[in-house]
Amino acid sequence: MEEKEKNQLSRRNFLAIATGAIGAVIGVVMAVPAVAYVIGPALQRRTDENWVRLGSTSKVELGNPTLFKTIVENQTGWIVTEEEVSVYVVTEDGREYIALSNICTHLGCRVRWISDQGQYFCPCHNAAFDELGLVVTGPPPRPLDRYETKVEDDQLYILLGG
Amino acid sequence: MSVGFGNWLDERIGWRKVWDAIFLRKIPKVNWLYTLGSATLFVALLQGITGILLTIYYVPTPDHAYDSVVFITTQVPGGWFIRGVHSWGASAMVLLSVLHMVRVIMYGAYKYPREVTWFTGVGLLLATMGFGFTGYLLPWDQKAYWATIVGTRIAGVAPFIGEPILRIMRGGEDLSAVTLARFFGTHVWVLPTILLLFLGFHMYLVIRLGISAVPGKEE
Amino acid sequence: MNEKERQEYLEQYKKDKEKGVPFFPDILFKDAVISLVIFIALVALAYFVGAPLEPRADPADTSYTPRPEWYFLFLFQLLKYFPGSLEVIGVFIIPSAAIILLIALPLIDRSAKRHFLRRPFILGATILSVIGVLFLTIQSNREIPPPLEVVGGDQTALLYTENCAPCHGPSMTVPESVNLHEVIAQSEHEGMPAWSGDLTSDEIDALAGFIISPAGSQLFTDNCSECHEVAELVASNPIALRESIQLGLEYEPHAELDIPNWSTSISQEQQTTLLNFLVAPDGQRLFATNCAPCHGQSVAFAGGEEQLLETISQGGMHLDMPPWREMLDDSELDLLARYVTDPNSVPEGAETFQANCSSCHGERIPSSEDLETARQIIAEGGGHEMMPVWGEVLTSEQLDALVTYTVAAAEGTSVEVGQELYSQNCALCHGEFGEGGPNPSRAGDIIFPISTEEYLKTRDDFTIRSIIAQGQPNYGMSPFGSVFGGPLDDEDIDALVTYIRSWEANPPVELPPEIVVEVDEDTVALDTEQIYVQLCAQCHGLEGEGGIGPSFEDSQFQDTRTDTQLLNAINLGHEATSMISWGDVLSVDQINEMVALIRRFGSPSVSGLPTPEGVSFASDVMPIFEAECAACHGNFGGWDASTYTSVLGTGNNAPVIIPGDPENSLLAQKMLGTHSIGAIMPPAGLLPEDEIQVILDWIEEGALDN
Repeated sequence: MEEKEKNQLSRRNFLAIATGAIGAVIGVVMAVPAVAYVIGPALQRRTDENWVRLGSTSKVELGNPTLFKTIVENQTGWIVTEEEVSVYVVTEDGREYIALSNICTHLGCRVRWISDQGQYFCPCHNAAFDELGLVVTGPPPRPLDRYETKVEDDQLYILLGG
Repeated sequence: MSVGFGNWLDERIGWRKVWDAIFLRKIPKVNWLYTLGSATLFVALLQGITGILLTIYYVPTPDHAYDSVVFITTQVPGGWFIRGVHSWGASAMVLLSVLHMVRVIMYGAYKYPREVTWFTGVGLLLATMGFGFTGYLLPWDQKAYWATIVGTRIAGVAPFIGEPILRIMRGGEDLSAVTLARFFGTHVWVLPTILLLFLGFHMYLVIRLGISAVPGKEE
Repeated sequence: MNEKERQEYLEQYKKDKEKGVPFFPDILFKDAVISLVIFIALVALAYFVGAPLEPRADPADTSYTPRPEWYFLFLFQLLKYFPGSLEVIGVFIIPSAAIILLIALPLIDRSAKRHFLRRPFILGATILSVIGVLFLTIQSNREIPPPLEVVGGDQTALLYTENCAPCHGPSMTVPESVNLHEVIAQSEHEGMPAWSGDLTSDEIDALAGFIISPAGSQLFTDNCSECHEVAELVASNPIALRESIQLGLEYEPHAELDIPNWSTSISQEQQTTLLNFLVAPDGQRLFATNCAPCHGQSVAFAGGEEQLLETISQGGMHLDMPPWREMLDDSELDLLARYVTDPNSVPEGAETFQANCSSCHGERIPSSEDLETARQIIAEGGGHEMMPVWGEVLTSEQLDALVTYTVAAAEGTSVEVGQELYSQNCALCHGEFGEGGPNPSRAGDIIFPISTEEYLKTRDDFTIRSIIAQGQPNYGMSPFGSVFGGPLDDEDIDALVTYIRSWEANPPVELPPEIVVEVDEDTVALDTEQIYVQLCAQCHGLEGEGGIGPSFEDSQFQDTRTDTQLLNAINLGHEATSMISWGDVLSVDQINEMVALIRRFGSPSVSGLPTPEGVSFASDVMPIFEAECAACHGNFGGWDASTYTSVLGTGNNAPVIIPGDPENSLLAQKMLGTHSIGAIMPPAGLLPEDEIQVILDWIEEGALDN
C-alpha cells in the first residue's frame, strides 16, 4: 500500500515535471521568435553603403563651395521615401574634392554659403563655418560633417550610409 | 523562502484556494478525447499571442495592408513564423472546436447539469467562425478581397435584413477601406472581447460542474 | 429527465469523481502532450508551407474565381444547389436552422440517456451532419477547378472568361470535327446565344482557337502579343504563320527585327500548340485563305468526306492518277483531252470519261483550257498540281473543319434554301438578282446593286450577316434577324449569305435594263465619277458648285477641312442635315477616292474629271499581286510575287515581264488567257478587268518600282 502510494507520488512528480517541461519548450519556441520579431527591426542598422552620384566635377568652382543636390531613396518598413541630400563641394586644386553636409552640427538647421564673407552661415543660432567646414563662431560642437568622395569619369560621387 | 513568499501572498490574495479549485480538483476517469477542449484553449491562446504580435506591424488600410503583411513575412525576423502560426492556427482552431463539439454530443455531455456550458460553447464556435471570416480579409490579397465580396454578398441574401446587413458589414455599398477597418476592429477588439466573456463563463462552468464522465453502456 | 434521475446522476458523478485523478498533473499532462503535438504541427506548417499570400487585391480583376477559406467551403457549395429564388434557403434558412438546432440541442434531447448507442437519433443526426459537411467540402474542391490564370495581356483568355466561362467553366473539351466557329457564331445548342451578333469574326476565331489550345493563347501572349494583335494573326494565311515560326529569323518579315529566333526559342510541341490557337478550325475562313486563291470562291466537290480529307491532307501528292498512256491508246487520249476541254464538241467522249475517270472525278469534268495541257495531264497523271500538302500545314481539327465546310458548301443545299429565302424576303427591294432599284421606303432614293463583285469583295460574310440581321434603319431596311425581331433565324441568314456569296463567282448576267443604263457598259462597278454624279451631285451640284449642300469650289470649304474630316463626313454623315452616312453604301476605298475627287473640284485649273496618273507599283500593282497571286507564288517555287525584284526576276520562264511590252510579257498573257503554255492565272478565273488593266498599264509604263 505504501509502496503504491510512493509509486503514485513519484509518477505524479514525473508528470508535473514533464508538463512543466512541455510548457517551457513551447514557451521558449514561441518566445524567441516573438522577441526577435518585436525588437528585430529596431536593431537593424542601415548597412547599405552606396556611392551616390552628385554630378560632373566641372560644375565645381575652384575655391568656391558649390551646392549639389541629389535625391536618395530611403526605405523605412515597407514605405519608400525620397529624401533630398544637399552637399557643398569644395576643391582647391580640382583634384581633391571635399564634400560637406549642409546640416549644421548644432541642431540640424541648414547652413548656407555666404560668398561675400567666405563663410557658411547657420540662420538658427548665427553659427559660422569656414570654407572647409570648421567652426568659426557659434554653438556647433564640431565641424560640418564630411562625406567620402571619389571621382569616376569626371563624375563626382559621395558615400552615403555606413 | 518560496514557501514563505507563497504563504505571505496567500494570506493576502488567497491564491491557494483558487489553485486547489482549479488544479487539484478531482476528475473522473477520462480518455484522450477529453483533451480536445484544452487543445482548443491552447490554440486560442496561441492565436491571441501571435495576433497581438501581428498588430505591431500590420496596418489596416488598403494602401498599406498588403505591403505590411509582405513586410512582416519577408523582412521582420520571425515574422514568417508568427504569421504562419496565426494563419494555420485559425484552421486548427476551427477544426479542434468542431471535434470538441462532436465529442460533447457523442458523450451526451451537454445534458443536465451542463446545458449552459453547451450554450456558451456554441457561442464560442460562432465567435471562432467570426474570427475566421474577418481575419480572412486582412491581408488584402486577391483571395481575401474576392472571398469577402462573395461572403458579404451571401449575407446580403437574407430576406428583409439582408440588404442592411450587407451594408453594415461592408460599411457602405462596396468593399472599401471602411470595410477593412471595421473587419480589423471586429477581429481584434469585438470578437476577442466576446470570446473572452464566453470563454471565462465556459471555463468557470467546466470547473464548477466538473467535466462529464465517459458514459457507461447502461447510462 | 425527472428529479430522481437528476439526483441519481449527481450521485453517480460524485462517485466517478472520487475514483478519478487530480487535474494536475494527471490530466494537465495529457493536455500538454496534445498541445505540444498541435504546436509542432503548426510550427511545421508555418515553416514548410507558410501562410498563403496571393497577389495584392485588385478590384478591377473580374476574372478571379473567389473561394472562401476551407471551413466555409461547405456553405459555399451548399449555395450551388439552391439557384435563383431558392438561394435564400441555402444562404439563410438552412444555416439559421442549423445554428438554432445546435444551440437548442440540450433542450431537445432531455432524456437521461447518455451513451451514444442509446441515443440513436442524435447519433444518426450527428453522423449525417458530419458526412454532409465533409461531402460538401470535398465536392466543392472537386467542382471548382483552380482559378483560371489570366495573365495581364491574354486578350483571348479574357474574352473567353467574359463570354464563355460563366457557362462552360474555365476550360472545355469539344468533340473532334466540330466546326467551332460555326457553333460559336450561330448557337448550336439551347440557351447559348449566337455570338455573331456581339463578337467579330476574328474574335470568334480567336475564341475557337483558345478553346482548342488555351496554352497556345498563353504562348501567343508571351511571345507575339507585343507586336501582333490576335485578330491580325487569326485572319492571316496559315502557311505564312507556320513559316514565321519554323523559319525563325530566316522568315523575311522577321529578318530585320530584334526578336528571338522562334524556331529554337519555342519547342516543337509549343509551336504546334501556338499554331492550333492561331489557325482556328473555321472551315469557311480556311477555305477562303487556303483554297480560294486557286480553286475560286465557288465550292465544287463530288466525292465523300473521307476522300476529300485524303485529297486535302495529301495535297499535291494526292493524285494517284495513273499515267493513262499506258492503258489508253492515242485516239482515246485525244478524245478525252478534247472532251475535258470542251465537252460539247465531242459528246462521244462522255462514254470514255465515264469508263475511266468518273470513279474519281465524279460527274464534275475537270476543266482544262487547252487541249495540249489536258492531254499531257491525262497521259502522264500524277502530281501535276502545285497543291501544298495540307496535312502538314493544318491540324486535324482544321482539316476536319475544312472538309466539313467544303462538303456542305459543295452540296449547295444552303444556296438553294438561300435563293428561296432571298426571293421571299429580299427580292422586292433588291431585285431578283440583287440588282437594286428604286428604294420603296425613301422616295427619290435608289438601292444599289448588291450582286456586283465590287460589293461582294468589299464585304465579308460577317458584315452581310449583320446587315441582314440588324437591317439598315437609315435606309429603310428593317432588321430580318429573329434576334432583332425579324422573321429569319441564324440558319436562314446563313443560307442567305451563302446565296448572296454565290453571286461573287458568277455575277448575275441579266441586269434589268434601267440599271444597265445607269451603269457604265464596260464595268459592273461604278467608278468614282459615276458615284458622284449619281449620289453627290443631287445636293452638291454636277460640277461641285453646291446646292442643298455646300459648294466644293469654295476655297474656304476646301481650306478648312482636312481629308480625314471629309472622309468622316462622307462615312458618317452629318446629323441634322440631309447629308446621310454613306459608309454603308460606299467602301472605304471609294470614299477615299471621293475625297480626292472633291479636292479636285477645289483646284480651279482642273475640271471635275481627273487625268489618269501613272500606275504605282507599290500602291496599285503590289496589292493585286498580294491578294491574287502571293498565296501560291512565293510559297511553292516558280514565279515569286512577293517583291519587286522577285516579280521581275523569278519564274520558270523568267522574265515574266518585259517592261513596256505587255503583249509579250508572259504575266500579261497568263492573265489574259492569250498564253501558249500552262493554265490561265489565277486558276480561279480571270481577274477583274480593272485589275488586269492596272497591271497592263504598269508594264506599259516601263514596269517601274514606283
